[in-house]
Amino acid sequence: MTGVPVTGERAGDAPLTWGQRAIWEAIERTVPDDHYFNFGRVVRLGARPASVDGARWALARLVERHESLRTLVVDGGQRLRNSGELPVAFGTDPDELLAELVAPRFDYAREWPLRAGLVTAGPEVTHIVMVFCHLAADGLGAEEAVRDLRLLLLRGEPRGSRPPQPLDIARWQQSPDGRRVAEEAAGHWEREHRRIPPTMFHLPSGAAAQPPIWRASLRSPAIDLAAQRIAVKHGTSTSNVLLTAVTALVARTTGHETVAMLPIVSNRFRADTRGAVSTMSQEGLFVLDVEKVRFDELLALARPAALRAYRSAYHDPADRARVLAEVSEDRGEPVHPYCCFNDMRFADHAVYRDDALIRRALGETSLTWPMSQDQLNCRFCVHLSGTMDVSVTADTRWLSRAEMEGFLRGLEDLLVEAALR
Amino acid sequence: MKERLAELVSESCDGQLTPAEVLAASVPLSYLGVTSLAQMRLIDAVEREYEVEIDLGGDVSFLDSVGGLADWLAAR
Repeated sequence: MTGVPVTGERAGDAPLTWGQRAIWEAIERTVPDDHYFNFGRVVRLGARPASVDGARWALARLVERHESLRTLVVDGGQRLRNSGELPVAFGTDPDELLAELVAPRFDYAREWPLRAGLVTAGPEVTHIVMVFCHLAADGLGAEEAVRDLRLLLLRGEPRGSRPPQPLDIARWQQSPDGRRVAEEAAGHWEREHRRIPPTMFHLPSGAAAQPPIWRASLRSPAIDLAAQRIAVKHGTSTSNVLLTAVTALVARTTGHETVAMLPIVSNRFRADTRGAVSTMSQEGLFVLDVEKVRFDELLALARPAALRAYRSAYHDPADRARVLAEVSEDRGEPVHPYCCFNDMRFADHAVYRDDALIRRALGETSLTWPMSQDQLNCRFCVHLSGTMDVSVTADTRWLSRAEMEGFLRGLEDLLVEAALR
Repeated sequence: MKERLAELVSESCDGQLTPAEVLAASVPLSYLGVTSLAQMRLIDAVEREYEVEIDLGGDVSFLDSVGGLADWLAAR
C-alpha cells in the first residue's frame, strides 16, 4: 500500500451536521459490529483504463474537492483535515479488493474516511475501488463521488461548481435560518407523534425465530412494471406508489387506521445541499390515514403527505429525540413507529406497461431469505432496489417469517391488481 | 412570472422537461413525470427566488402547475 499526497484548501472544526449525527448515533449503537455501515463502489474503467499515476492523481483531486472525504469525528464533532497521505491499496480482482477494504471497521478519529484501491492488469488500472465510511457519504453521495472521479479521469477536472461541504452545512444548521428549518421540522415530528399509534407492530407474533431478525427478499419484475403503470395512470412517481402500497399493507397487517412510516430521505433538495457527498440522508416521518380509503384515493393523499415527510427529514436529531421523549412522557408510553422505508433506487422513470407484460412477469417472481441476525434497531424495514428487489427485514417477535412472506406476496398482489384494474 | 417559474420547474427535474413543455402542459406537472423529489427542489427554488415560505400543511395542489404557483405567488 502506498500513499497519495493530498493538499486541501482548509482545515477546521464544527459540530456534526444533522446527517452525520444521525448516522453517528446509529454507528455508536452498533459498535463493535459497525463495519456493517461501510460500503463501497467499484468504478470500472472499461475501454479507457488509466495509468497508476493518473488514477492516483484523480483520487487525490477527488479528496481535495470533497471535504467530506477528509473529515474525521473527534470528540463528538467533525474535524476537517487539510492535508495528509491517502493510502491506496492494490489488487488484481475488484471484488476481492472491495471485500478486503470494506471488512474492517473505520477508526473514525484517525483514519481517512475513504479507502481507495486500484485493480491493475499490467501497467493499466482497470478498476478503482472506493470504500466509504458512512459518515463521509451515503448512497447518493457516493454516486456524486463516482461521477466526479470519472470526470477527473476523463477530462482532468471535475464539474465546475464547488460542492456543498459538511463544515459549511453544519455552520448553516446552527444559524438562525438553520434553526428555523429545524424548528419547523420538529413541529411536524411532534404533531404527528401525538396522534399516531405508539408503534406500528404492537402485537407479539407468537412465532419468534432464532436468531430473531430475518430478511425476506422478493425479486419481482411484476412489482416494478405494475408500479410504473400505476404511476403513469395516477400522475405520480413509482416511489410514491410503492410507499403508499407498503403503507396500505402495514395498515392491513396491523389493523391500524393511521400508519406512520419512516422513509429514508436523501435531503439534497435544497440548493445548498445538492451535490453533497457527505451523508445527508435522514428519516422523515410519513403519516397516512388509511381507514377505508381506496388505493387510488390513497395515492392522491400520499403525495402531499410525502412532501411533508421529505421536508421533515431535514431535522436536527437532537430536536427529534427531545420531542419524542416529551410526547412519550405525555402519552404515558414510548412512541416510535419502528417501521421504515428505504427506496435505494436511483432512477424513477415510469412507462405505461401493458397487461400482458405485467402478467407474464408474475412468473419470474422468486423469494429468498438472504440474511438473519441478532440485533435490529427497528421492527420492520422495507428496502427497494433494482428492478425490482423488495425486501422486508423484520423482528420475528413482532412479525413472523410467514407473515413477512405474506406481506411481500400481498404487496405484489395489491400492485398488480391495482395496475390491471 | 410564468416563464421564470417554468425555468425553475425545468431545472428542478434536471431538464427532463423544457420550460416550453412546462408552459404548454395541460395536465398537472406530476403527470409529466415531475416526481416528489423534483417538487421538493422546486419548492426550495421558489422559496429562495421569491422570498416566501411554502406551508406544506395545507392544500398544496397549487404546486402542480405554473399557473397555480403564479396565482399563489400573486396572492401573497
